[in-house]
Amino acid sequence: MAETRSAARPLSGTHAVLVRLAAVAVLLAIWELLVLAEFWPPAILPGPAKVWEQLLATSDAGNGQGGYAGSTLVERLGVSLRRVGYGSAYGVLIGIGLGLVMGLVPVVRAITEPFVTFLRALPPLAYLSLLVIWFGIDEEPKVYLLMVAAFPPVAVATAAAVTGVNKQYVEAAHALGANRARVVTTVVLPASAPEILTGVRLAVGIAYSSVVAAETVNGADGIGGMVLNAQRYNQTSVVLLGLVVIGVTGLLIDSAILALQRSLSPWRGLA
Amino acid sequence: MGEALAELVGVEHSYRTKGGSVPALGPLDLRVEAGEFVVVVGPSGSGKSTFLRVVSGFEHPTSGTVRLLGRPPVPGRDIGVVFQQPRLFPWQTVGDNIGTALRWAGVPRADRPQRIVELLTQVGLGSLGPRRTWEISGGQQQRVAIARALAAQPRLLLMDEPFAALDAMTRERLQEDVRTLTDEGSRGVVFVTHSVDEAVFLASRIVVLTDRPGRIALDLPVPLPRSGITADELRGSAEYAALRGEVATAVRSVAV
Repeated sequence: MAETRSAARPLSGTHAVLVRLAAVAVLLAIWELLVLAEFWPPAILPGPAKVWEQLLATSDAGNGQGGYAGSTLVERLGVSLRRVGYGSAYGVLIGIGLGLVMGLVPVVRAITEPFVTFLRALPPLAYLSLLVIWFGIDEEPKVYLLMVAAFPPVAVATAAAVTGVNKQYVEAAHALGANRARVVTTVVLPASAPEILTGVRLAVGIAYSSVVAAETVNGADGIGGMVLNAQRYNQTSVVLLGLVVIGVTGLLIDSAILALQRSLSPWRGLA
Repeated sequence: MGEALAELVGVEHSYRTKGGSVPALGPLDLRVEAGEFVVVVGPSGSGKSTFLRVVSGFEHPTSGTVRLLGRPPVPGRDIGVVFQQPRLFPWQTVGDNIGTALRWAGVPRADRPQRIVELLTQVGLGSLGPRRTWEISGGQQQRVAIARALAAQPRLLLMDEPFAALDAMTRERLQEDVRTLTDEGSRGVVFVTHSVDEAVFLASRIVVLTDRPGRIALDLPVPLPRSGITADELRGSAEYAALRGEVATAVRSVAV
């Protein structure tokens, strides 16, 4: 049988990892060279070694300030991930539910789509003020902010996936005696799963990138709070550390969702 | 006269388009009895697919009546459908595809594993249950689709050019297996194709449709033996050749 080729062939597993590690190494080298050349003073651009020191210092609970301003890096990451986790989970649930109804009932889609698009266009910092007035300054406004940021991409992806389900499968299900509810649970949802998960990837990414915004009000215990606090005291290396930690954990979360997507829909692109 | 599985009286169907209504089918009358293997042959665009959609209840005829076992047709009731493409659900294994059909047919959960094996064995794929649908060949997929359509034990099986997309050898082997579906007498098959060879080999009765709108140009009983003869003997017999010529002439005369 002839080998099938897609438009662009992905790199093999080990090859891809090596290429990525090399890219990171080159980036670190350029960074270090810029620092050594002293284009900018170290207070503006600290080197990788300085950021690494901060990683060790902020992870050490016994360093005299309990890591950084009372919490270690891992504790802060845990607090932020918890917020992102709840916000994304609520957002994804609402998004799938709303998207499903939008995809199945054209009238609902016509009514809700402008609102979803409107919400999508708003920067999270803009509606944080409103959420703080409504829900105070504890966990609720933070989780709700991430929820509001996360649900539109899931709703849009789900609605598009549901509308795009191959009619041939739906007809085959009816020919086998399935009613509408069974068609939705056994055909429409599994057929839409890959696209819905693409929406979930997007949503979790948006929620995670909004965590700094969510922690601007009484969120000093999170990783975003650490970045904001460090900015106030010109601790550039701590700001950089926060960015790297957010970026790297964001990448790991994204890979995990991608792996979930592949294991849930191995048939994607094959059938 | 045997028991009527399907009865069409004065059935006509038109499709509404921007330019007005386009007649696709009829008027036609047809009665399909238990034990019959009716093959509907016609040129492309003769309304063969419309005919099946009307019989299966996916489309309501513009005029006339359709009865399946005395009742108006409802998709999934009394009939099984095999489409041109297998349409197996790729998110389920081969066995689960059949299990889903059994569930929808109301077969209790405890009985399903046994029935899945029986149905797969019936189409010659006894061990393929755990496989993914895209891991098996096109011919095997269509066999699974047939097993799935038989899961609810429908009295009438509708087949819409099910072998058109398969290679010649696979097609012949599937034809040989499908030919026996009506042997036991209570089931009927309505099989649509544009292939005269396929029609003559499979049918106990051949119905030739005219060009659009499809009407019955020829309704012919097939006197070929249905058992005690190999497929090769049958395809090589003089009766087969004569009938093939007759049907081919009829199809050619109705095509434009």
